[in-house]
Amino acid sequence: MSRAEPDRERLLPATLTHGGATRWISGLITDKPAPLSWFVIFAVCSVLLVVFLVSLTYLFSVGVGIFGINIPVAWGLPITNTIWWIGIAHAGTLISAVLLLTRQDWRASINRFAEAMAMFAIVCAGLYPLIHLGRPSFWYYLLPYPNTMGLWPQWRSPLVWDFFAITMYLLFTMSFMYLSLLPDLATLRDRAKSRLGQVSYGLLALAWRGDAAHWARYQRATLILAGCAAPIVCVVTGIVSTDLAVSIVPGYHFTIFPPYFVAGALFSGFATVALLAVVLRWMFSLQAIVTRIHLDYIGRMMLVFAMIVDYAYTQEMFTAWYSGEDHYRYVYIDRIWEGAYAPVWWTMIALNVGVAQLLWFKGIRRNPVALLLIAIAVDIGMWLERFQIVFTSTHADYMPSNWDVVWPTAWDWAVYAGSLGLFGFLLMVFLRVMPMVSLHDMRELIARKGAGSGHG
Amino acid sequence: MVGKSEVLRGHDMHWIRIDRYFEGQPEAPSMIFQPVTCMHCENAPCEYVCPFAATQHSAEGLNEMIYNRCVGTRYCSQNCPYKVRRFNWFTYTDKDAPHSTPPPAHNPDVTVRSGGVMEKCTYCVQRINAVKIAAARTDEPNNGRIADGAIVTACQQACPTDAIVFGDVADETTRVSREKASPLDYDLLGDLNTRPRTSYKAAVRNPNPAIGSPDAPYVEKGRVKG
Amino acid sequence: MAESAYGLIARFETADDLLAAVKALRADGMLGIQAYSPYPVAGLADELDAGSRGVALWSLISATLAGIATYVMQWYAAVIDYPYVVGGKPLNAWPAFIPPTVSMVLLFAVLGAVIGMAVGNRLPQPYHPAFNVDEFAHASDDGFFLLVTHSAQGDDNHSELGKRLHDLKATSIVEVPR
Repeated sequence: MSRAEPDRERLLPATLTHGGATRWISGLITDKPAPLSWFVIFAVCSVLLVVFLVSLTYLFSVGVGIFGINIPVAWGLPITNTIWWIGIAHAGTLISAVLLLTRQDWRASINRFAEAMAMFAIVCAGLYPLIHLGRPSFWYYLLPYPNTMGLWPQWRSPLVWDFFAITMYLLFTMSFMYLSLLPDLATLRDRAKSRLGQVSYGLLALAWRGDAAHWARYQRATLILAGCAAPIVCVVTGIVSTDLAVSIVPGYHFTIFPPYFVAGALFSGFATVALLAVVLRWMFSLQAIVTRIHLDYIGRMMLVFAMIVDYAYTQEMFTAWYSGEDHYRYVYIDRIWEGAYAPVWWTMIALNVGVAQLLWFKGIRRNPVALLLIAIAVDIGMWLERFQIVFTSTHADYMPSNWDVVWPTAWDWAVYAGSLGLFGFLLMVFLRVMPMVSLHDMRELIARKGAGSGHG
Repeated sequence: MVGKSEVLRGHDMHWIRIDRYFEGQPEAPSMIFQPVTCMHCENAPCEYVCPFAATQHSAEGLNEMIYNRCVGTRYCSQNCPYKVRRFNWFTYTDKDAPHSTPPPAHNPDVTVRSGGVMEKCTYCVQRINAVKIAAARTDEPNNGRIADGAIVTACQQACPTDAIVFGDVADETTRVSREKASPLDYDLLGDLNTRPRTSYKAAVRNPNPAIGSPDAPYVEKGRVKG
Repeated sequence: MAESAYGLIARFETADDLLAAVKALRADGMLGIQAYSPYPVAGLADELDAGSRGVALWSLISATLAGIATYVMQWYAAVIDYPYVVGGKPLNAWPAFIPPTVSMVLLFAVLGAVIGMAVGNRLPQPYHPAFNVDEFAHASDDGFFLLVTHSAQGDDNHSELGKRLHDLKATSIVEVPR
């Protein structure tokens, strides 16, 4: 397969017409039942969702002490997972937006499920700060108005900045998702067989009719959103990273964190896009439009961000040494060999630095199974990175009398597995009600490169 | 009370702890100890990271913990370099809690904290306020100043060697101001610029090597509060 | 031909045919042309003089207002309404006011653009006569349509327009009832 000549490899079949694309993609929803694999994944995710709900009920009734956290390690898995989930969301945004601005054709078939991935990852990321609170029923003290006792939120706290940033990111992703779906909702409205389908899609489609003047404003709006997306990605993860960077804790207090976390977010995000690309193309037989070329390019993006993350690791350690500060130097001595969490650090390096190097090889990037395994490894590796930053920094900070080693409890894992279930559940439902490939983006691609271009 | 299993997990609730440092031979180590409470830092790193303004600095210099505003993000604990803040991981004071203190045993002057809120040493704010209220009620002219030694914190009262001193550092005549003026006065982790109000006074010992063995335990540090 | 018809709608097989037809009719001086496609066809909106600057204006204005409002709100709360000291930091903590302000600027740029698009397009407009034509369902699929309103045709003979469209490679031409 790697012997195919590059200029004969196509991003989509030469014979695909507009009508063909419509029938194929919308047919996955309206005409055919879901494949067996969908039912299996849906069932597993439903079970995990129940686990999630049960765990949260127990958590909210008993208290946050069920997690593996104490003094000094007061932030554990909930904060680790907030950062991990937000990171996964970012690649969806980048694909939707930055690849649009740079006019990358390979964006057309993958941006829809990447956006959906971003949407549902943000839902999970938004739930975790609530899960981590000691008294979650008072979350509304964060709302910017003078509430109880006339107090406003305390603006100097990065957690207040987080609230604004994550809310902004959630609403942005919803807007982008809705805008992207709008013309496709019209397609489904026109093709729906049941009255319920026609009415539901019809309402959501806002009576879209494909008027050329409307398309002009649509494209302008999409361009503005795409232009905002790159700053949004930097601002959101940058602000989330200031939760750590603004703190005076030795392992947290680095100015490198905002760009480092953005790179890490995109690294794990593209890994998750790769994972979904491989799984979905297999489940729904989309190989002709989510091709090995797409896998190759996604793999290259993973590699770019892997290199940035790996460079950031070296800079972290160099800065700590160069600072001359004993506490900062000790963070790395503890992380790398003296502390109880050293195995976590080494596993992280093996996955994020070692395994990621396999992405240099085109044959590996283009192989779905290999890319899937690497994507899973990277997702795990980036999770371990968040884990070791959050846990090791406070476990051995300024005063040795406070040092302690804490590990996550069963409830930590139950809630985490539950959040994975929630993500999968929402994604599976999405795949059954919305086109998993953007039809109007595919049509533009077909017009340029496929059979629908009217060139004969 | 939180019980043994909670303490083993690191969920203990002591507002004052005694840090012990050992040196010398393992068979006969000498020990240095240091009581640590909330330092009530002027540049408190815990204050500016609370998203709800549940911990603020009073005009008198106390780092105030506002229990009913705390939502339990625990950012303040993360940012405290001394790790003096404690958290109510569960509702330890609920009557159904495993080791709940019976209500008659609670100090009536100290707020009972619910689950999910931070707490820490308050410089015995209930004692400070009691003295201030009593002074405001009398007709004696005192120009708003409390007599030196009128406010005694609980740890100061308990200390048999009078090693803890509390008072008004804005008044140069108080005992605490005189102690802090000593060249032996130092701040714990002072280079972090937290400007703690609690400072320590180094004890200087110079044991004559002719008396006793060099390995005899000795005490090095006392402390001074203000 | 019924006087009460909204207009005439013609279907074309390819985007190029539609674009050529629109160009030809515009060259004739025809107004009241609407074009429909399942994806944005390059050059089509320009031919119809369809503007889209309103979207950017909505976006810019809402972003600016949101930024100012967020900054002023924070300043007012911290300096005037309920000032207190935390960590020895100044009351007017302008570096801390920046992240929420930037977040709100970006959010309202986005929301402004979406609302600007909806308002400019007058969406949702649940009733449009074109939906009365069954074949129009292909506008969201694989068909390219051109609609000339009755009023724009003026006194022109309906069938003349029909012939013209046929010459321009329309595959089906249908009257659009109101």
